[in-house]
Amino acid sequence: MFRYYVKLGLFSIRKNPILSALMVAAIAVGIGACMTIINVDYVMSGNPIPHKSDVLYHVQLDSWDPNDAYQDPDLPPEQVTYLDGTALLEAGQARRQVLSFKSSRIVEPQGEDERPFQVISRSTSADFFPMFDTPFVYGGGWDKSADDNEENVVVINREINERLFGGENSVGRTLVMNDMPYRVSGVMDIWEPLPKFYDVNNGPFEDVEEVFLPLSVSIAGEHGSSGNTSCWNAREGGREAFLNSECIWLQFWVELHGASERQEYMSFLSAYVETQKELGRFPRPMNNRLNNVMEWMEYEEVVAEDVNVLLGLAYMFLIVCLLNTIGLLLAKVARRTGDISLRRALGASRQAIFSQYIIEAGVIGAAGGLLGVGTTWLGLQGIKALYGEFEFIARLVAMDWVVILAAIGLAILSALAAALYPTWRACSVHPASQLKAL
Amino acid sequence: MELGPIWRALMRNKTSYVLIALQIAVTMAIMVNAVNIIQERSQQMARPTGVDEANIFYLSSVVFDPDADFEVQIAADLDAIRNFPGVHNAILSNSVPLHGGGWSEGLRLEPDPTLDATGSAIFFTDEHGIDTFGIDLIAGRNFEPGEVTWYDFDAGDWPAITIVTAAMAEEMFPDLALDDVLGKTMYIHDTKPIQIIGITERMQAAWSGWSGVERSMLIPSMRGSSGARYVIRAEPGYRDEIMPQIEEMLASSGADRIIRNMRTMEEARARSYLEDSSMVTILTFIVIVLTAITGLGIVGLASFSVARRTKQIGTRRALGATRPAILRYFMLENFVISTVGVTGGAIIAIGINMWMVDAFGLQRIAWYLIPAAMVTLWLVGQLAVYGPARRATMVSPALATRSV
Amino acid sequence: MLSMQNVSKVYRTDTVETHALREFSLSVDEGEFVSVTGPSGSGKTTFLNIAGLLEEFSSGAYQLDGRDVSGLNDTERSKLRNEKIGFIFQSFNLIPELDVFDNVDVPLRYRGFDAAERKKRIDRVLDIVGLGSRNKHLPSQLSGGQQQRVAIARALAGEPRFLLADEPTGNLDSHMADSVMDLLSEINRDGTTIIMVTHEPSLASRANRNILVLDGQVSTSEPELHLAAQSG
Repeated sequence: MFRYYVKLGLFSIRKNPILSALMVAAIAVGIGACMTIINVDYVMSGNPIPHKSDVLYHVQLDSWDPNDAYQDPDLPPEQVTYLDGTALLEAGQARRQVLSFKSSRIVEPQGEDERPFQVISRSTSADFFPMFDTPFVYGGGWDKSADDNEENVVVINREINERLFGGENSVGRTLVMNDMPYRVSGVMDIWEPLPKFYDVNNGPFEDVEEVFLPLSVSIAGEHGSSGNTSCWNAREGGREAFLNSECIWLQFWVELHGASERQEYMSFLSAYVETQKELGRFPRPMNNRLNNVMEWMEYEEVVAEDVNVLLGLAYMFLIVCLLNTIGLLLAKVARRTGDISLRRALGASRQAIFSQYIIEAGVIGAAGGLLGVGTTWLGLQGIKALYGEFEFIARLVAMDWVVILAAIGLAILSALAAALYPTWRACSVHPASQLKAL
Repeated sequence: MELGPIWRALMRNKTSYVLIALQIAVTMAIMVNAVNIIQERSQQMARPTGVDEANIFYLSSVVFDPDADFEVQIAADLDAIRNFPGVHNAILSNSVPLHGGGWSEGLRLEPDPTLDATGSAIFFTDEHGIDTFGIDLIAGRNFEPGEVTWYDFDAGDWPAITIVTAAMAEEMFPDLALDDVLGKTMYIHDTKPIQIIGITERMQAAWSGWSGVERSMLIPSMRGSSGARYVIRAEPGYRDEIMPQIEEMLASSGADRIIRNMRTMEEARARSYLEDSSMVTILTFIVIVLTAITGLGIVGLASFSVARRTKQIGTRRALGATRPAILRYFMLENFVISTVGVTGGAIIAIGINMWMVDAFGLQRIAWYLIPAAMVTLWLVGQLAVYGPARRATMVSPALATRSV
Repeated sequence: MLSMQNVSKVYRTDTVETHALREFSLSVDEGEFVSVTGPSGSGKTTFLNIAGLLEEFSSGAYQLDGRDVSGLNDTERSKLRNEKIGFIFQSFNLIPELDVFDNVDVPLRYRGFDAAERKKRIDRVLDIVGLGSRNKHLPSQLSGGQQQRVAIARALAGEPRFLLADEPTGNLDSHMADSVMDLLSEINRDGTTIIMVTHEPSLASRANRNILVLDGQVSTSEPELHLAAQSG
């Protein structure tokens, strides 16, 4: 019977082409609008590192101004000072810990024709690579001894590797940056965590850095930070004073497995802050934070507010499209009371009529959904056109199978929901009541 | 005018009319709030930076020769740029309005760190700054060449004078006339005094979304470092021509450096407001499509409603209704339904707006948006029903006597 | 009061020409109760439509209340219908969403009377048909006979020159039919002209003159029956 009803549904669409087209179009547009925004939201709020997102924690300490919170109402700074970062790194109280900041270097290719070019780099301690499970094509990161010895090692990405070494295994070869030679320890594979969780503060959708070098090397070489730097109190001039100041400009993450490790680390942080207080620092009340990846994304409100506003509007848009569909379905049913009445007279039960019309609505919904995949694609292309300049948008507007299936599913569900009232009306038609008029 | 009977008839047969009214209501709610956001963003984007946006461009020069004397290099660069044909003036600066990245400091009226500080954007410049940015002094004076110093990174001291924007002056000294603010001293970095020697009308900070975007200060200090940003104001009409020329000149000047991120102020503005302008586009599109869908829906439902009542139309015609009278009947009926719809829509629109003000900090809707949306939807409804209504007038009065 | 001379109506399609009325002539004086009978397909309905200005005719002449109706545009015809003719239909043709009062009100609105005038007239005619107490009822709440009475009231409200009734009792049982016909007779006695189209001879006998229509023409094979005018 299912196939029979589907056939009836398709036949009915052919018989009322304009009405049906209107319904399918309305559903497709509504679905397109909704799914476009839902897609953006879905990608923006996705988990960038699902297999480790609940063991990686971002650390915040409140070393800020006694007279003014870093951020209302009483939130601690989003980055750490050099003093605190290095102290926590040295203490090594978590399974792993990493301290890093965003910097920039100039790569000087050794060939005569090649011009130097600037790269965005990350100056980081060794644990970055195992902690964040970065994929490698060749080689790997470095170890703690390289950090301690301020070894000039570097991890480069595939593009740099292509450009400088023709894509070969360049482990052990030399790369010159800002007149200093560095030994390549590894070539990182394409890695595009979305959002870029480990440094949200400097842009949650930026590209991953092209080159990684040891934090200690950057500090010794006085490499400046390319990220945000905020300071709350006055300080002397000069590099030393800056490193010892209350300026925040680094990101600190730890890896902790299980609730008890997390607990212990929180206790450790409290103890650390206490000792600092005794030295005259940390004038504000204790306010340490440990947020895992998803918690940190939410804290930083990575999903732009605009997206939430658009999401609300998109759902309302869908409601309008559904009201439209209900009305048009009612019109369709009312036009066909003769047909219904005849079928009832010939022995169709109420359920049979219900099934027929619900399935017909499902057919319309499926058609609307298929078309809706197209309108969603169009919508996402539109978003891409609007934001053209920013490449990360290309990833935000990529449709995967989940979204496609969701679009069709949403369309069918919506059509079925819209059809409930009109179909109920159809079932109420009395057998043979309309036959005299035929 | 048959208002009474139309209303009574609608009340007795609610279903499809309720749907139209509901559609109109939700459409109106979306329309009003979307237009509100569009207005808010457009107003944001229309704000002038205060500088000569049409002719200014900027670029970064990154020197990687470790032995280079930055101060000498920068002085030579500025000289070459200023003398380049087509250039009006140029400076070394850390940032430009709407650039997205920059420097800010907190200023106080007393050297007391426990007091609240007022944030201001900081632009490092020399005596050519005012002319390069194209801003006007409305009080006081510019920096003298002798007052501009190279920043000593180790000593870390600050100049003792500054030129501020009128907004900054008003924020710090709300009770004084602008001329009286001249000569007043503020405190930066807790205890360092800094005196206001000049006030300029307007210069926005680097962050368009910042509540303090109108508060800026010019500091007579040159920061020599490996990364230098040059802000260049071209003579009118020359900008596009000289941009690649200047880049070429600097790149081939013999120093070990690369030139990058060359951008016009217009591009900076576009980037700065990219989210806002995209939001405006998306919302405009939504409003248009929504109105079209609702309009088409009304056409469909009205067609059906007319078709259902052909016998009634024929009877009315038989009883003496002229064709215009039939048209008026359906237009009026639609008007009544639309009125119910827009009334409900107004309530929902205001409700949603109040919630959005709370949840997202949006601005409240301007009062005229509600009547404007009402009129728009009335018009859309009338337009939509016109076709079916005209078809209704064509129903023959002889239909009344047909026995089927 | 109403006069038709040699009125013809031809329906043309691509292939077929149908002569619904041929050289139809009729004259009705004020105060008459005329019945027009004939088998189905004879052209009665066409005559009805033409007499009621619901349709135009192909040739001939028609004067209503001294006025020639040919050449009138649609608006003029509508006005004429509204002022001069009171329709009574076989299936009542009441508007289902309107109550009794509003139903009777419909032609009066097109006439342009003010609210007070309309109310006065509606109350008066509902009284005449005996439904004064059912102002607020919907057609679905009334019996067939009551619905037809409302229709009659609607027809009378504008004080038309004549009532044009199309099988007025066709959808009623015999008991209700009788009472409706009694009502019509009474209205006629009070001075209103009535032209009734029917295929039932028993109904036709209530009128005081009968016209027989066959094949679109007034039949000459049956004499016009002049029934004695009722006293009153």
